[in-house]
Amino acid sequence: MNSFFKEYFDRTIFFTVLALAGIGLLSIYSATYDAYEGRDFFRQLLWVGVGFVAMISMMLLPLRWLQRNALRIFFASLGLLVLVLIMGKRVYGSQSWLGFSGLGIQPSEFVKITTMLALAAFLSRSDVKATNLKDLVKTSLLVALPIGLIMLQPDFGTSLTYIAMFIPVLYWAGASKFLIIIIIAPAFVAAASIFGTTPFLIVLLLLGIGLFMLRAENQFLATVVFGVNVAIGFVVQILYEKLPLYQQKRVATFLDPNNDPLGAGYNVIQAKVAIGSGGLWGKGFMRGTQTQLSFIPKQWTDFIFCVPGEEFGFLGGIVVLGLFAILLFHGVRLASIAKNRFGSLLAIGFTALFTFHVFVNIGMSVGLMPVIGIPLPFLSYGGSSLVSYMMIAGLMMNVYANRKEY
Amino acid sequence: MIDDFASAERRLVIRIVLLAGFAILLGRLFQLQYINAELYGKEAEENSIRNVPKVAIRGYVYDRNGKLLVDNRPSYTVMLTPVDFDKRQLPLLGSILSMPVATVQEKINRGRKYNAFIPTRIKRDISFAELSMLEEHKDKLYGVEIQMESKRHYPTDARGSHLFGYAKEISDAQLEKQKQDYQPGDIIGSTGIEAKYEQFLRGVKGFEFISQNAKGQIIGTFDNGKHDIPPVDGLDLHLSIDGDVQAMAESLLADKRGAVVAIDPRTGGIIALVSKPDYDLSLLSGTTPPDVWRALNNDEGIPLYNRATLTRYPPGSTFKMLLALTALEKRIIDENWSVTCVGAYRYGNKTFKCEHVHGRVAVVEAIHKSCNVFFYQLMLKVGLDEWSDMGKRFGFGKQTKVDITEENSGLMPDRNYYDRIHGKGKWTQGYLISLGIGQGEVGVTPLQMANYAAMLANKGKYHQPHAVSSIVNKRTKEVRTPNVEQREVKLSEHTWTLVREGMRRVVMEAGGTGRAAKVPGIQVAGKTGTAQNPHGKSHAWFMGFAPFDEPKIAICVMVENVGYGGAFAAPIAGFCMEEYLYGEIIRYSKSPMPLEPNEPDEESVAAN
Repeated sequence: MNSFFKEYFDRTIFFTVLALAGIGLLSIYSATYDAYEGRDFFRQLLWVGVGFVAMISMMLLPLRWLQRNALRIFFASLGLLVLVLIMGKRVYGSQSWLGFSGLGIQPSEFVKITTMLALAAFLSRSDVKATNLKDLVKTSLLVALPIGLIMLQPDFGTSLTYIAMFIPVLYWAGASKFLIIIIIAPAFVAAASIFGTTPFLIVLLLLGIGLFMLRAENQFLATVVFGVNVAIGFVVQILYEKLPLYQQKRVATFLDPNNDPLGAGYNVIQAKVAIGSGGLWGKGFMRGTQTQLSFIPKQWTDFIFCVPGEEFGFLGGIVVLGLFAILLFHGVRLASIAKNRFGSLLAIGFTALFTFHVFVNIGMSVGLMPVIGIPLPFLSYGGSSLVSYMMIAGLMMNVYANRKEY
Repeated sequence: MIDDFASAERRLVIRIVLLAGFAILLGRLFQLQYINAELYGKEAEENSIRNVPKVAIRGYVYDRNGKLLVDNRPSYTVMLTPVDFDKRQLPLLGSILSMPVATVQEKINRGRKYNAFIPTRIKRDISFAELSMLEEHKDKLYGVEIQMESKRHYPTDARGSHLFGYAKEISDAQLEKQKQDYQPGDIIGSTGIEAKYEQFLRGVKGFEFISQNAKGQIIGTFDNGKHDIPPVDGLDLHLSIDGDVQAMAESLLADKRGAVVAIDPRTGGIIALVSKPDYDLSLLSGTTPPDVWRALNNDEGIPLYNRATLTRYPPGSTFKMLLALTALEKRIIDENWSVTCVGAYRYGNKTFKCEHVHGRVAVVEAIHKSCNVFFYQLMLKVGLDEWSDMGKRFGFGKQTKVDITEENSGLMPDRNYYDRIHGKGKWTQGYLISLGIGQGEVGVTPLQMANYAAMLANKGKYHQPHAVSSIVNKRTKEVRTPNVEQREVKLSEHTWTLVREGMRRVVMEAGGTGRAAKVPGIQVAGKTGTAQNPHGKSHAWFMGFAPFDEPKIAICVMVENVGYGGAFAAPIAGFCMEEYLYGEIIRYSKSPMPLEPNEPDEESVAAN
C-alpha cells in the first residue's frame, strides 16, 4: 500500500498545496475578521473544500482521454467565453453596459486550463514540430483565440498570464532560442526605453550579446532583429512623449508605482510598509497594525502576501516563498521525468503559469513589479481562481501518476 | 533538424530562471524586513497615510422636456469616531438626536466593527434645532462632528414613487454582496430607476488623504490635501417621462387604487407611470425612521407595491381586439361575418351574458358596442392555440424587461397551461368562452396593456418600453442611449383598419363605451374593460391611443374595485392624453365641452 502510494501519489504537490491554502485561510481570517466577522474566511474554507474535490477528480481523470479530447474540450470552453460576451449584451437597460463584474464565476480562469490542455495535445502530436513555422503559427492561433476573447472583456492581466504560459511551453517543446528572443525582446526594450536612456542601452547590450552568441553563423538575421528592436525602442519613446501628460504619468506609474505615492502607488507603498515593518519575526497573528487597520486596499485578494509578511515577518515570507519554490522546482522535475510529451508539456506549462503568478504578485507586493491585478495562487481570496489552481495541481499530480507511461 | 524537446540545456535554463526569481524576491524581502525594517517599522508606527473615501454627488434626473425631476439638496449628518467618543455621553447624544440610546450604541458598534478610527454615520438629515444643540454641547461630545451631505430632493409635483424609486442607506445584505464598491452608510438605489441605474447615478468616489498614527488617531490632512482625489459626479438620466402628465395622472388617481401607464408609441419611451396609493419618496431617501417604514408596510393599500408592473388582473373587454385581430388575420371570419345577440349566449347548460341586446352585429360594431355574444362565439371559432399565440406576440405572458423595477409576467393561457391545470383532455371548449372577453385565467399588468395599446397604435410595431432615453455626463457631454429592442407583428392592413376603426368608434361615435376619454379636437381610439373580481367590485380598465391617424401617446388606466371602465378609467385617460397633446387642459377654457354623463358600461359575465 505504502509503495503504491509512493508510486502513484504525488505527495510533494499535495502537501505544498494544502499548506499554501492553509496559510491563505489564516491570512484571510486575519485581514477580514474585523469588518465582516470571519464571513470571508468561511466562504474561502468552503472553496478550499470544493477545490479539494476538484483536485482529486483531476488527478483521477484518464490522461489519455484528456489528450485525445483536449481540442474538443478547449473549443467547448471557448464557447463559455463567447457566452459571457453575448449574455452581457442582451439584457436591456443598465445591465447591457455593466460588463461582467457581476458574474459569479470567471470562465477565463478555467479556460487557462483548457488552453494548456489544447497546447500540450497539439505540440505532443508526432507530426507537429515546434521548429516548423506552419506548426508555430497554428499553435499561436490556439492561444490567440482565448486571449482575443478575454481582451474583449477587457482583462489585460489575465491575458498576460496566457502569454506567460505560452512562451515557456514553446521553449520546452524545442522552439529555437532565437525565436523566443524575437518574441520577448520587444517587451523589454519598450519598457526600458520609457525608463530612460541607461536602462535602454543596458537591455540593448544584453540583447546584442544574446543574439551574437545564438546566431553567430547568421550575422545578417541577427543584425536585422537587433535593428528592429532599436527602432521599437525609439518609436515607443516618441509615442510616449506624444501622449498627454496625465497618460504619461499613468504609464510611468504602472512601470514604477513609486512615482505616484498616493494614487496607483498607494497600495504598493502601504504594502511595502506592512511587509517591512514585519521585521524578521513578524508582529504576531492578527497583530499586524497595517493589516488590522486595513491600510491596504484589496488586501485579501491581490495583496494577500502582506499579511504573512507583516504578521510573520521574514520567517513567514521564507515559508511562503519556500513552499512555492518546492512546488515550482518539483514541477520542472516532473516535466523532465514524464515519459510522454503531453504530460511533460502540461507540467511545464502549469509550472510556468504558477511562476508568473507568484513572481508578479509577490513582486508587486514588495514593490518590484508593476501592479497587475492577478491573484497569488492558493492564497488570494476568490472561489474561481482557487478552484482552478487546485484543478491544475490535480492535473500535475495526474502527470506524476502517469509519468512512466509513453 | 534535431529534436530539442525538453533537452538538458533547456531544463537548466528554466531552473536558472526560477532560481534567479526566487533569489531576487528573497533578497528584496531581506532588504525590506531586515536592512530597512527599522525604517518601515517606524513609518508604520508613527505616521501612516490613510485614504478616506468621499462620496460623489448623485446624478440628476430630467424629464423629456428637460425639466428637473430629481436632484439633491444639502443635509447635515452627524458623524462619530468610535475611538474618540466618551461613552458616558451616550444619553446626552441620544436625547439631542431624539434616538434611543440602544440605537445609537448599535450604530457606534457597527462602525467600530468596520473601523473604529474613521467616522461613522449616526444620523442623517438632522434638523436645525438638533444642529445647534450639538454645537452647544460640543465640548462634551468629543469625536462627534457634522458633515455636509446631500439628500434626494423632488422639486416638481411629480411624486414618481414607484418610477424613480428611492435611494437609501445600504443594508447589510446589499453590502455583503458588493463590498468592493460600498461602505456602511453609503447610499444605494434600492427601487425604481434609482436601483436600475445605480451604477451610473452614483458616480465615482473620491479619496481624501489623512495622516494617522499606528493607534489610528488622526494627526491631520496629509500634505495640505494636495493629493486628494476629488469624487466624480454621477451621470444624469434623461427620461422619456413628461413630468406634467405624470403629476396629472397622480392627482387623478389620488384617492383611488390603480395605475396609469402612458407610452410614446413612436419610441417606446414611457410618458407616465403611476401606481396609487403611493408614498412620499423624501420619507424614504437616506434613512427611514422605523415607524414610517412600519406604517408603509402595514398600510392595507400596500403603497410600496407597484401596481403598474406587478398586478395581474384579467383585462376584460380590452382583450376583444386581440381576438378580432386573430380571427381576421387567419381569415376565420371576414368583416361581414355576424352573429345575432339576444343578450345572452347558451353553451351546454351554461348561460353567458351580454349587457345589451345588440341584434345582428359584425366585427367593427361588436368592438364599438362591446358585444360579448359576438366574442363568445368567435372564441369558439378561433380556438385556444391561435388566440394564445397572438397574445404572446403582443407581449402578454412575459415580462417587458422595462428598466424600472421588478415586474409580473402576467399569464397568457395556452394548451400546456390548461393541460397542466386541468389535466390533458380534461378540459373542453366551454372553458375558453370567457377568455374571448378577457375574463378567466388570463392576467395582464397595466404596463403590458399600455404596450398593447402602443402596438395597436403602431399597427404592430413594437419598441421595448423604457423610461430612460439617455444617460448624460454633464462634464464631458458624453451621451449614451440604451438599445431598445424592436420588432413587428405583421398583419394585413385590412385587419388593422377594421379593428382600429372599431376602437375609434368606442370613443368617437354614439353607443361607444369609452366616450368619456374624448379629447377636444382630437380623434381618440380606445377600449374599455371591466375585470370581474371575486373579492368585490370590478376593476375598471381603459386603454387607447391618440391622435388616431398619427398616434403620439398610448395609454392604459386601471382602477381597482370601482366598477365600469367607461365610467372610471376612461375619463382619467382623456385628461392625461389632453395634458400631453396640448400641454395643458383646454376643455374648460378654449372649447367648452361638457363631459358626457357616465353611460353604464356593458360587459359583465355571469357564468352559470
